[in-house]
Amino acid sequence: MNFWFAVFRQTGRNLHQTWTSQLMTFLTVSLSVLIFAFFYLIYTNMLGAGDRLSDDLRLIVYLEDEPGPQMQEQLRRKIQNFDDVEEIHFISKEEAYQRFAKQLGENSDVLQDIPTDFLPASIEVVPLKSLRGYNQIKLFSEYLANLPGTEKVQYGQEWVERFYYFTRLLTIVVLLSGTLLILTATFMVAYTIRLTIMGRQDELELLKLVGATNSYIRAPFLIEGILQGFMGSIIGLSALYGLFQWITAHFTGPGLLTLFQFTFFPPSVILLIIMSSICLCSIGSYTSIRKFLRI
Amino acid sequence: MIEMIKVSRTYDPNITALSDVSLSIATGEMFFLIGRSGAGKTTLLKLICNMETPSNGLIEVAGYNINKLKGKDLAHLRQKIGVAYQDFKLLSNRTVAENIAIAMEVSYKNPRAIRHRVRDLLGQLQLVDKHNTLTGELSRGEQQRVALARSVANSPRLILVDEPTGNLDAATTERVMELLTRSNKAGATIVIATHDDSIYQQGNHRIMELRDGNIHSLTRGSLK
Ligand SMILES: Nc1ncnc2c1ncn2[C@@H]1O[C@H](COP(=O)(O)OP(=O)(O)OP(=O)(O)O)[C@@H](O)[C@H]1O
Ligand SMILES: [Mg+2]
Repeated sequence: MNFWFAVFRQTGRNLHQTWTSQLMTFLTVSLSVLIFAFFYLIYTNMLGAGDRLSDDLRLIVYLEDEPGPQMQEQLRRKIQNFDDVEEIHFISKEEAYQRFAKQLGENSDVLQDIPTDFLPASIEVVPLKSLRGYNQIKLFSEYLANLPGTEKVQYGQEWVERFYYFTRLLTIVVLLSGTLLILTATFMVAYTIRLTIMGRQDELELLKLVGATNSYIRAPFLIEGILQGFMGSIIGLSALYGLFQWITAHFTGPGLLTLFQFTFFPPSVILLIIMSSICLCSIGSYTSIRKFLRI
Repeated sequence: MIEMIKVSRTYDPNITALSDVSLSIATGEMFFLIGRSGAGKTTLLKLICNMETPSNGLIEVAGYNINKLKGKDLAHLRQKIGVAYQDFKLLSNRTVAENIAIAMEVSYKNPRAIRHRVRDLLGQLQLVDKHNTLTGELSRGEQQRVALARSVANSPRLILVDEPTGNLDAATTERVMELLTRSNKAGATIVIATHDDSIYQQGNHRIMELRDGNIHSLTRGSLK
């Protein structure tokens, strides 16, 4: 009969003999995949939301006076000195007034007694998409605030700041849970395989004596690790998908989630998580084989 | 089949288990190894199957220097050597059938063929009813026969047997020797270490007596 049949039979025996510790390992691997994938999913969704928000991001520079055409040209050059920008709009006092009236709609008659130049003129700056990250935006806004003739710069500072810190916190959580995944997956698998090997020294010894090749002795343990990684990540991701479905079903409607457009991982990321789980578990089993299987 | 040239084996606190043993065993021969307890019989067999390494000297089995073989080559040679150990080396938490099957599984034999061969051997050794018994629950005489069955199961070219009849009655001893003789007739080279003169006096096979690790005599069986 062929090699692989014999190896799989041997693997089946291993699993059968040590199924309790196998189950524990399997659950640990699933759980750590679940925890990691959960935070990672939130993280990617936050990043997506961040992208959408920064698409809408514009800095409004309020000016002391209405700039003349020559001044406009100078300001434009000054702004572009700092960095290329997507767009620059000059908004005159008159335009600001019109916009405001439009926003008021039916209530615009309250403006009747107010002079049309009561709003300041401003420049609307749409930064380049590459200008991301809180610090860059902040630097840019400081630069703009220091231009001559500017009153102040607005871009929803507080909101951006809070969003930025939350994303940073999430980055840390994702890194931590990723480390957790790496540690538990490799250690637990290494540990169970170590147990199996220790508990069956005499059998492995005998296998050598009756002429089993090294690969015949090793392969079942490696397959065990691969199976743990595969099954663990599949179950962990399935649980997360269930959770995801439940959340989207229960929290739909207007509000936070519509802004966030909560989406699940694309297939490539799912595949990547499964592959890395398999990789980690194989590394775990391989180190145990190297350490404890003297052949 | 086996060439040993000036082979010595010493154990740590200067125990000399074998010293300067030179020996040549032909393919297809049945060869007996006798001597008092502690004479070095088991040591000699362990050297031949590479369970132990010689302190000195050269050992060739089937043309290979067995101490130079590694990995796959060693494994493949070992598949061709069946050994019934004096301490049996059975897996006590496995059944009789599983213990015998191990020797065939390592060369990836067909499961049907394995089952068939196991039943056949158990029949020849009067152990049919023990097929599914754990070997830990067997008597020593039964364990001894299971160890023997495992050594011949894979139809090896060389069979090394250490004390095959130590715990057996005359009738069962007869059956064991029949099995070994049949393997020998089929072409296997057989080396038997024993105290039991009833088995080596029966034929005209070569008999080597060890005494304190040295070859004391090399004679032939008296019959015929
Ligand atoms: N692993 C070991 N460490 C130290 N000494 C050993 C070891 N194995 C065997 N010996 C010694 O080597 C000598 C030969 O032992 P061996 O087992 O070959 O004898 P034997 O002829 O098989 O005896 P028996 O008939 O009792 O089985 C003995 O003196 C024994 O004490
Ligand atoms: Mg002995």
